[in-house]
Amino acid sequence: MSAKRSSINRPPTPDVDRDRENQEPTLQEIINIKMIESGEKERLKELLRERLIECGWRDEMKSLCRAYTRKKGRNNVTVDDLVHVITPKGRASVPDPVKAELLQRIRSFLASTAT
Amino acid sequence: MMSRNSMYTNPKPCKHLADYKLRHGLSGYNLLQEQIRTTPSGKSSVKNHQTEIPRCCFCNGYQKRLYLCLICSSISCSSHTLLHSQCENGHDIAVDIERSELYCVLCCDQVYDPDFDKIVMLKHLMDLPRSGNGVDVSAGRRSSKRRRLCSALELDLKKTKQLVSMRDLRAKSCYPLGLRGLNNLGSTCFMNSVLQALLHAPPFRNYFLTGQRNHEVCRKRSSDRLCLLCDIYVFFSAVFSGDRTPYSPAQLLYSWWQHSANLASYEQQDAHEFFISMLDGIHENGVKARSPIKDTGECHCVAHRVFSGQLRSDVTCMSCGYTSTTYDPFMDISLNLDTGNCPSTDLANKSLKPSDNTYVSTLLGCLDLFTKPEKLGSDQKFFCENCQERQDSVKQMSIKRLPLVLCLHIKRFEHFPVRRMSRKIDRYMQFPFCLDMNPYLSSSVVRNRFGNRMFAFEGDELDTSTEFEIFAVVTHSGTLDSGHYVTYLHLKDQWYKCDDAWITAVEEEVVRASQCYMLFYAQKMLYYKANEDLVCQPVSPRADPFLPIAGCC
Repeated sequence: MSAKRSSINRPPTPDVDRDRENQEPTLQEIINIKMIESGEKERLKELLRERLIECGWRDEMKSLCRAYTRKKGRNNVTVDDLVHVITPKGRASVPDPVKAELLQRIRSFLASTAT
Repeated sequence: MMSRNSMYTNPKPCKHLADYKLRHGLSGYNLLQEQIRTTPSGKSSVKNHQTEIPRCCFCNGYQKRLYLCLICSSISCSSHTLLHSQCENGHDIAVDIERSELYCVLCCDQVYDPDFDKIVMLKHLMDLPRSGNGVDVSAGRRSSKRRRLCSALELDLKKTKQLVSMRDLRAKSCYPLGLRGLNNLGSTCFMNSVLQALLHAPPFRNYFLTGQRNHEVCRKRSSDRLCLLCDIYVFFSAVFSGDRTPYSPAQLLYSWWQHSANLASYEQQDAHEFFISMLDGIHENGVKARSPIKDTGECHCVAHRVFSGQLRSDVTCMSCGYTSTTYDPFMDISLNLDTGNCPSTDLANKSLKPSDNTYVSTLLGCLDLFTKPEKLGSDQKFFCENCQERQDSVKQMSIKRLPLVLCLHIKRFEHFPVRRMSRKIDRYMQFPFCLDMNPYLSSSVVRNRFGNRMFAFEGDELDTSTEFEIFAVVTHSGTLDSGHYVTYLHLKDQWYKCDDAWITAVEEEVVRASQCYMLFYAQKMLYYKANEDLVCQPVSPRADPFLPIAGCC
């Protein structure tokens, strides 16, 4: 791919006068960056995945997807469609104990990296 | 080489993917391969720098799904992929960074390319400690596959022509052959129920009815000793003789007692235990009579040829992903009932699935449970060869090779040695009459571990069928101490209830509603063949058409 990276094919440079570039990163962004750098984010994602599978959430989403696909017809559905349809339902149905556990983990992470 | 299994035929590429392939071939994939990293749990992602956070080149966002353009490596989030494609002509195919899956920007949909998946898979396998991990992407044919097929055919096709030629085609309205009540000799319903099932296991039945068991020359018989196989042969002849009066399998019971001395009593025994010990007895008697076979590890006694399959057990280290695989033979599979319980929702009142009272256990649910990855407890830490220390690990079972006849045992009797108590689980379990075992095969289970990939897998048994038909159900009613076994047989589209000496035709709803304990499924092809031969004959007390004709074997 380096052969094709001539200046003609470069993606457009973002506008210089956009404010975003010069703003200070928000607290949320700082936390997120710290979590990714330390690998904690990946671990939390794995944990979340495990919990959501265990409690049947993933199977529930799968059957929602199947029902939607059956209704629309297999060839009339894209992954993007499914993501749009499932996301609100998915977010709403995460069980409370799972949320609690993850929040607890994030809190302890923050406590341990507080400088 | 692709599996002929319809579940995995490749979807046609969209026009844009096809164009991309024409123009760039595999170069984009190959360059990407270096950047793919796979977690021990099997998830493949694209990571060019360990700590750099990928961001959308348009909005700098990092929260949505991010896609890497295969041509110029620029990253766009799901809202801006189309914009990128508009800016750069032909940049239509991208890779979902987190999942390593192809995406077509113009179709707004995931697309599939076996070449891409192969590259992801190869990288994954290369990175795994000690390649192999139970997955060999090359397709090799094994000669033992052929041998198994031949064995099945031998038991079935060749000799049953004899049976067919003896049919009396006029008889239509009487019961099928081989339906005969068995007298209860004192709490022996456990034996009667299993015998009824064995009588109608197609290859097993054919073996004993077509004279492959040559009891004239049985050495034991001639020296007046007991021979279990001869007794079974006599039993089969009696049941298929056409005589409908209930039969007392006393000789067989006595023969079995000799073999399983610890179970010899008039107490009620467990039907499953009887089944296993019976097969064991057949194996021991069979093995001695035959000359040792070449070292293939496969036993050719009738019990093994009919009922034995192979299980695969994978234990994966959760730290490094190293997997240790072992294979073990089985004569039947014991399944725990799936109850729909899940650990994390036990604590809270809110749960996704309805409470236990309304969740119905199903056979497929039990099989799912059987092949589900199971986290081994911290007291069972597995010693990982790669990490050289004990680690938390995950175990997963799957079926490497299916038998001709599959016996599924539902574990309804719970024993608590500490509390010295046993109890029976009465929970109803729904079971199908037609069963496709494909999702529980090792090839399917292992394939699923790698996500949505299309590739040929070493274990793909192209010529073995995975479709089974039920032919017998052994049910138990009552409590652990005082219960009763009844068998339902499925012969020629009609269900028959075999309650010791009483046999009655019943509707299939009755069978569906029964509390199953052991389920017997035969490979579809064998089941339908067997049923063709079962046309009934009028009762003829003296004539015994199934004794082997001298000289014909």
